[in-house]
Amino acid sequence: MTPRKDTVGRKTTSIPVGPQHPALKEPESFTFEIDGETIVDVIPRLGYVHRGIEKAMESRTYIQNLYLAERICGICSHSHTTCYAQGVEELLDVKIPDRANFIRVIIAELERIHSHMLWLGVAAHEIGFDTLFMHSWLDRELVMDLLELISGNRVNYAMNTIGGVRRNISDDGGQKVKDSLADVEERMKHYVEVIKTDQSIRQRTKNIGPLNCTPAADLCAAGPTLRASGIARDVRKDDPYAAYGEIPFDVISYDGCDLFSRTLVRCEEILEAIKITDYAIDNLPEGAIRVRAARKVPEGRVVSRLEAPRGELIHYCKSNGTDTPERYKVRAPTLANVLALGNMLIGGNVADIPIVLAGIDPCFSCMDRMAFVDTKSDKRWTWTQEDLQRYALKC
Amino acid sequence: MLDTVVIPLVMFLIFPGVAFLLAMAFFLEWIDRKTVARIQRRYGPLHTGPSGILQPFADFLKLLQKEDIIPTGVDKKVFILAPILISALPLTALFLIPFAGPSALVWFEGDLFLIMFIFTLIVLVVFLAGYCTTSRFSVIGSSRAALQMLGYEIPMGLAMIGPALLAGSLSISGIGQWQMDNGIWTVLLQPLGFAILVTCMLAELEFVPFDIPEAETEIVGGWRTEYGGRKLALLKLGHDLELVLASALITALYLGGAQQIWIIPSIFVFLAKMLLVTLLFSLLRAVFARMSIAQMLSGMWKYMVPLAIIQILLIQLGIGG
Repeated sequence: MTPRKDTVGRKTTSIPVGPQHPALKEPESFTFEIDGETIVDVIPRLGYVHRGIEKAMESRTYIQNLYLAERICGICSHSHTTCYAQGVEELLDVKIPDRANFIRVIIAELERIHSHMLWLGVAAHEIGFDTLFMHSWLDRELVMDLLELISGNRVNYAMNTIGGVRRNISDDGGQKVKDSLADVEERMKHYVEVIKTDQSIRQRTKNIGPLNCTPAADLCAAGPTLRASGIARDVRKDDPYAAYGEIPFDVISYDGCDLFSRTLVRCEEILEAIKITDYAIDNLPEGAIRVRAARKVPEGRVVSRLEAPRGELIHYCKSNGTDTPERYKVRAPTLANVLALGNMLIGGNVADIPIVLAGIDPCFSCMDRMAFVDTKSDKRWTWTQEDLQRYALKC
Repeated sequence: MLDTVVIPLVMFLIFPGVAFLLAMAFFLEWIDRKTVARIQRRYGPLHTGPSGILQPFADFLKLLQKEDIIPTGVDKKVFILAPILISALPLTALFLIPFAGPSALVWFEGDLFLIMFIFTLIVLVVFLAGYCTTSRFSVIGSSRAALQMLGYEIPMGLAMIGPALLAGSLSISGIGQWQMDNGIWTVLLQPLGFAILVTCMLAELEFVPFDIPEAETEIVGGWRTEYGGRKLALLKLGHDLELVLASALITALYLGGAQQIWIIPSIFVFLAKMLLVTLLFSLLRAVFARMSIAQMLSGMWKYMVPLAIIQILLIQLGIGG
């Protein structure tokens, strides 16, 4: 990212935001060059939470990898397992029952609701509006309770398995979900009203962190960040997976290209997700929830993608006929959005750094998987695009 | 002996002196924390003492026990002196407030100016406290504190002058006395001045929406990032005392001061009014998002300063005067 011309040569101060900083919920480093209160340049440095998950997946069986994929992200754990299971099912040529597809959608939408509510709280905290933060997180508990009711877990639901889902949703449980979501819907409508009318929120989000339509598309932004720049792109609609093809819903998009739009997109997506969940529960097909799948996966390659709460999630799997994958690769939505950050931040104010950073709903532990440290010689290096291409072609 | 030594000593050290003021500081912090927590659907302090009333004091004691660190590269003299000054300055100013009865412990014609001066001095010490460290967060925080002061100092001064013009006295005790004599609260005559003073006090106290100098998500701890242990305890105590000072000053200037209502002693009336002002502060700080420094400054100069001048003009024209 190049600094703006009119500021070149002027003395700037560099402020580190991260790897440890209250604005970031996870360790990642951004160095800001500031001139007074204006941001001149931003240098992201990624890789602080690299955990070697991809490599670990290559030495575990497909069943074990389900649990590893679940732990790529703490918030969108279901998205990662769905994406993984979808890919492996495609390699196995297994068609999962309709009921399993619907249950996957229900869990995915509940996850989207609680992820976006979490984001709303974090964003409110970043602009110093702690009251909204506390309120939205308390309401989020309703959704967490529902997920616990269905799966027994609040965070890593372990619902997916290769060939379907592991737990059923009873009629009684479905009714409870609908009742609780009605409360959430009422609260969310109130929050949307507050966000649209509150002067202090508008002041801190309107025209802040601009990302116009063209750079958003050029920099491959994804998810709500992209949809807030006026591009209604959503994998659920464009390339329907699970049961999304059978469920009517709208893709929410705003063309404000700023934080205000990003906030509204997420809030209204929650309302849309509630509708999807209600529809899926009402139209839940009868039948089995899983089919048996072989342990060994025939040779092949697959790219599986879906719309995680933060944007398009891509998993790549290469199998070699054994019960472990030969190569696994995850592209989390945050990696797609992190490039657009520079565009949003340069020219803005220091005061806007936290909220703009939070605006893409970053999930750094999802994203970090490309840095190398040789512990013996303490040598560190990163791969360039050419290296990556060479490695990808070699596999 | 009793009249000349013991009673003044008791008054200065216990009531309404140091011990009373410290207790008030911890009490008001608890009120503030509890109110904000309830507005945010949380519980707030719960375990230390009944309903957590002793929590601020427990926090203070805990901080006192912590290791006292002086980071390398700081200006030691200022670094040590700043926390002491920040807690001592509001305490000094509080002696000028008439808590119980018509006159304060110390009062003279013109003590209103001394209070204004002390408010400015506190910000100056805050600036030095941040600037003497080498932390970038502290330096940005302290420069923001100074910038913010440029915004609210003038409207705050003008809002304090309003009641003085009304009462024809430059002493806080005199203004309180005038309200008691005339049986009216200044706030009824000058609501605009009251609103301006409350807003500026929020900025002086660094409460949301004006917590810009210590904006946690932007600059970590702001100007107090480098302080810990005893020094942080004193900084926090200083902030609590400032809260007492702000609410007491608004009570004395605008809400009728320490008048006696029916048979309720004047001190309780004064405390009840202070409590109301604190509740107002807590409510306001719970319902706003933080402004950015540019928005704060332009808001202050575009709206607060002209409004404060209009208020003074109105008084001169005999409206509310």
